[in-house]
Amino acid sequence: MNSPPEPTHLAQLQARLAAALRSPGHDRATADPALIAGIVDDGLDPAARLNLYRNNTRAMFVGALARSFPVIVRRVGDGYFHRLAAEYRDAHPSRSGDLHWIGENFPAWLTVRLAGTQYAWLADLARLEWACEEVLVAADVPAISIEALGVVAPEALPEVRLQLQPALRCVSSRYPVWSVWRANQPDQPGEAIAADRGAEHVVITRTDDRPVLHLRPEAEVQFVAALSAGAGLQDALESSSLPVEDLPLALAWLFQNGLVVALEAPVPGEKE
Amino acid sequence: MGWIEVHTENYFQDGGPQLRALERARALYPLSLHGVGLGLGSTAPLDREHLRRVKRAIDRFEPALVSEHACWGQSGGEHFNDLLPLPQTEEALRHLASRVREVQDVLGRQILVENLSSYLAFTSSQLTEWEFLSALVEESGCGLLLDVNNIFVNSVNLGIDPHKFIAGVPQHAVQEMHLAGHLRKQVGQRVLLIDDHGSAVCPDVWRLFETALRRLGPVPTLIEWDTDVPALDVLVAEAALADQYLERARELAA
Repeated sequence: MNSPPEPTHLAQLQARLAAALRSPGHDRATADPALIAGIVDDGLDPAARLNLYRNNTRAMFVGALARSFPVIVRRVGDGYFHRLAAEYRDAHPSRSGDLHWIGENFPAWLTVRLAGTQYAWLADLARLEWACEEVLVAADVPAISIEALGVVAPEALPEVRLQLQPALRCVSSRYPVWSVWRANQPDQPGEAIAADRGAEHVVITRTDDRPVLHLRPEAEVQFVAALSAGAGLQDALESSSLPVEDLPLALAWLFQNGLVVALEAPVPGEKE
Repeated sequence: MGWIEVHTENYFQDGGPQLRALERARALYPLSLHGVGLGLGSTAPLDREHLRRVKRAIDRFEPALVSEHACWGQSGGEHFNDLLPLPQTEEALRHLASRVREVQDVLGRQILVENLSSYLAFTSSQLTEWEFLSALVEESGCGLLLDVNNIFVNSVNLGIDPHKFIAGVPQHAVQEMHLAGHLRKQVGQRVLLIDDHGSAVCPDVWRLFETALRRLGPVPTLIEWDTDVPALDVLVAEAALADQYLERARELAA
């Protein structure tokens, strides 16, 4: 029987080490013998040395995920969060040298993982927390004022597209995610909120130093989400349940909060 | 406080409060951008998007120094977000040097490469760590960021000679030093030192710092204390202590 070659080749060594870092843990008996043979043994078991790295990389991952989802951690506790994080890492290992992106797939993964359980609402809470993360790192763009709408010909208004702030996200949920988020901020006692309390719809923006969560009517959040996805005013109205008489107030709210950064009106005469 | 250093990856954003905070600090202090995520020694292809964001941070903040680590970090598409050790082989040296040259070409400037703290050594290593770093300087034209705590940590964890390390690095390549606290951890029958940046610099590391200053002169030095961060006055006092060592080194150099 041939023993495996000593991993002197750099790529092979890195692949073997990577496999060891992904594995559930080692002792001398279960570790990759070629890798173990390639680590200096000065009386301390090379498998124990490997475990230090394995534990460290896992702690890095869980720590970064916990920093993105502090409300989830507070609701489920460290122990359960660590178990979820370990499972999530198996499904979605880090794909970037920048730790901040580790949580990108967590809301979608949780949706599947917790479907049908009493914790299904946590997936929506995760969407809300990730939206906050995205809002905090989005580009800074100067807002335009509502006067910009005044120069658009009335017949062109239905086709007008409003470009919204990059630092804006919409989250609609069957669950009271806004209430849970608020009740579990660091300065709050963390009062329990019943998951069946009802749906909540949130527009997330930011101030100079933190995310701001605006609880808004469902139709308005649908409307803003449609605008955000690039729909013109009329299409956004039709795809949401916003009554047309509420349109002026919805637009005023967007402009007053500095959330509109550009306006595209169709060029007259080019309408099909 | 003379200058500040931040992890480059914490300023990869398109906008927002964190960037603005650093802009305000940058207006008052010289800045060093210290990367932890490029994985210079990974055999996987260099992450161009990551490098583009490093470049963008450099363009935005015009740092005095830019640094990374003599490590690898990804394999098979997975990033470990850790500073993983390289064997000190000719192959690893050639690979790392070519990556450093590539990065310096894209960034249009020299970078400093930092020595790691390690918890294991490879039987395949042909060079000592300081021979490896000296050859890297020679082959890539990079500078060095000498982490004195990491040298001490490796002296305990791997049995290397810290004084030979300091005597063995090319004097003029060292443009920055790091000091930090570490954690003592019992592993089996041994104590290993974990480079956790979570406490004050220990007396052994101060003594080693003094040795380094005698050889290398008053090189800009940073206290890394980013876990269990203490009250600001404790941090400032630690930096002031480092300044006293530097002041003595300046007097000796004069």
